[in-house]
Amino acid sequence: MLIYFVRRVALTVPTFLALMFLTFVAIRLVPGDPVEVRVGEHGMSPERLAFFRHELGLDQPVWKQFFDYVWKLMHGDFGVSLATQQKVLSEFFTLFPATLELAFFAMLFAVAVGVPAGAIAAVKRGSLFDQALMTVSLFGYSMPIFWWGLLLIMFVSVRLGLLPVSGRIDLINYYFDQPTGFMTVDALMSGQPGAFIDALRHLVLPAIVLGTVPLGVIARMTRSSMLEVLSEDYVRTARAKGLPPSRVIGVHALRNALLPVVTVIGLSVSGLMAGAVLTETIFSWPGVGKWLIESIGRRDYPALQGGVMLVSAVVISVNLLVDLIYGAIDPRIRHGR
Amino acid sequence: MAADIAAAAEASPPDDSVAEVLAQPSPLAAFWAAFRENKGAVFGLTVFGLVLLLALTAHVVAPYSPVVQFREAVRAPPVWEAGGSWRFVLGTDGDGHDMLSRLIYGSRVSLFIGFSVMSVSFVIGAILGLLAAMTGPVVDVAVTRLMDLIMAVPSLVLAILVVAVLGPSLANTIVAVTIVYLPRYVRLVRASALGELNKDYVTAARVAGVGPLRLAWSTVLPNCLAPLIVMAALGVSDAILEAAGLGFLGLGAQPPTPEWGSMLADSREFIRSDPWIVTLPGLAILVTVIAINLTGDGLRDALDPKMRRS
Repeated sequence: MLIYFVRRVALTVPTFLALMFLTFVAIRLVPGDPVEVRVGEHGMSPERLAFFRHELGLDQPVWKQFFDYVWKLMHGDFGVSLATQQKVLSEFFTLFPATLELAFFAMLFAVAVGVPAGAIAAVKRGSLFDQALMTVSLFGYSMPIFWWGLLLIMFVSVRLGLLPVSGRIDLINYYFDQPTGFMTVDALMSGQPGAFIDALRHLVLPAIVLGTVPLGVIARMTRSSMLEVLSEDYVRTARAKGLPPSRVIGVHALRNALLPVVTVIGLSVSGLMAGAVLTETIFSWPGVGKWLIESIGRRDYPALQGGVMLVSAVVISVNLLVDLIYGAIDPRIRHGR
Repeated sequence: MAADIAAAAEASPPDDSVAEVLAQPSPLAAFWAAFRENKGAVFGLTVFGLVLLLALTAHVVAPYSPVVQFREAVRAPPVWEAGGSWRFVLGTDGDGHDMLSRLIYGSRVSLFIGFSVMSVSFVIGAILGLLAAMTGPVVDVAVTRLMDLIMAVPSLVLAILVVAVLGPSLANTIVAVTIVYLPRYVRLVRASALGELNKDYVTAARVAGVGPLRLAWSTVLPNCLAPLIVMAALGVSDAILEAAGLGFLGLGAQPPTPEWGSMLADSREFIRSDPWIVTLPGLAILVTVIAINLTGDGLRDALDPKMRRS
């Protein structure tokens, strides 16, 4: 058990190193003078150029620059954003809770709708509901979510006026401290009546948009996994024992069918991050994804470099965590490697 | 043997029925028979065929050039809305481009991206996958680790990084999306090649003195093709979605290229006043992607009977 854990954790070290190398090389490949790219200033005098060249360590050999870069990253120094002059790391941590909150509610939506719907479709295989759900699921994972977001804004927010168009909270009516960065939690803690509801109302559309693709995948996955389990012997035994159908399906079948579904949920973190870039852009959601896009627009390469690095680090860590949990739950995985 | 029977059958027409029973159906016919069973797949293939036809004949079918601006008819509504006319069947966009023409030419751009990404990653993926499976542990570890790294970076974030470095353009979109999707192909080829390498026919080929290149190319690869083809088909739709996402973020094909994603990006300001500018490009993406996904599902059912069981 311990050996598996240590080995699995050790395996991420080369990945992290390679990731550092990738971001290091990528920024060097940006066309233009490296000093100008990194200082964000153009047409500098030769003295100023030389000063920054030394300041940024660009007069050092490349291998030493890379070593310095890795050294700084290990000490939490991800550089300073050109646009805000703030540390990239602290900027990331200010914005990340917004992305996390959005991703959490998106996944909640996808699981809360996808799992029961998929299970029902499997039980009533071939029924109208089954066919309808499979069609919805096909639409779900084929959906260009940026367009889906625009459609929802157009109909639900603009035409019907039911939900807000953008942002995380109505800043005119509600203003409070945000110690956690999670708007729903902070709103609850603020004690302002209506603030929590308002935060939730702002979450509905972005969460639906970001959750649409996972919903399609989860519904389909639950259905096929459930179909497989329903033909197992132990389900037949449970039926033969005379257990009520609700118990056979809900306890004996569904619980076993959920294992592959949990895998899919674990693996979808990367997809959620990618989707968050689009969703946050559409809904002006002040998260990490929107920040990355804005950094490109502003040619803020340190922010972009650090941002890509940190987002990927989150994904690698979550995947590691999922693997470790599996190792703990399922001995076959531990010994398989 | 089979040829003899077929020849004999031809010589004596009354025995046609016997020959039909005895003759093996051609692989293509067998495939089509299996594919046809799935009605959704046939529907998807039909729609996809239509989109492909539009893309190939865009210069004939489209009423106007996709980049010509009708200054006097900016944001003209489509024909079914009040004030619409048959001159611009689907209306015009904010710059006075004819929507219908841009959508038709857009199919060309999207399918070009989809197929370029698919074929490049198919070829490179097959080569890297076979190398990893067949040349020993050093190459294997290097390739596998590299693919793990690419997969650790969220797809769109990696594509954004690539585009930030190379600059936004149609060609760089293809490069970025190819890098993003390459690991899937490499892993699939590697895994199925490793499976095949243990089988007797590969050992037999080795014993017979088949060289490594020939072994990889004509012994192992053909037997890994079925899942690879399925993945490639579904990969086309993923690539189209990803490229459209980049276009929407302003990091893909640049205006005035009629790319569906970037058409949507320009349309956001008209969301209140002229909804068709928003609705139509997205619908085009959705229909194309669904058609390809349905076709891909059908391919999987027909090529890979093992996976048909759900």
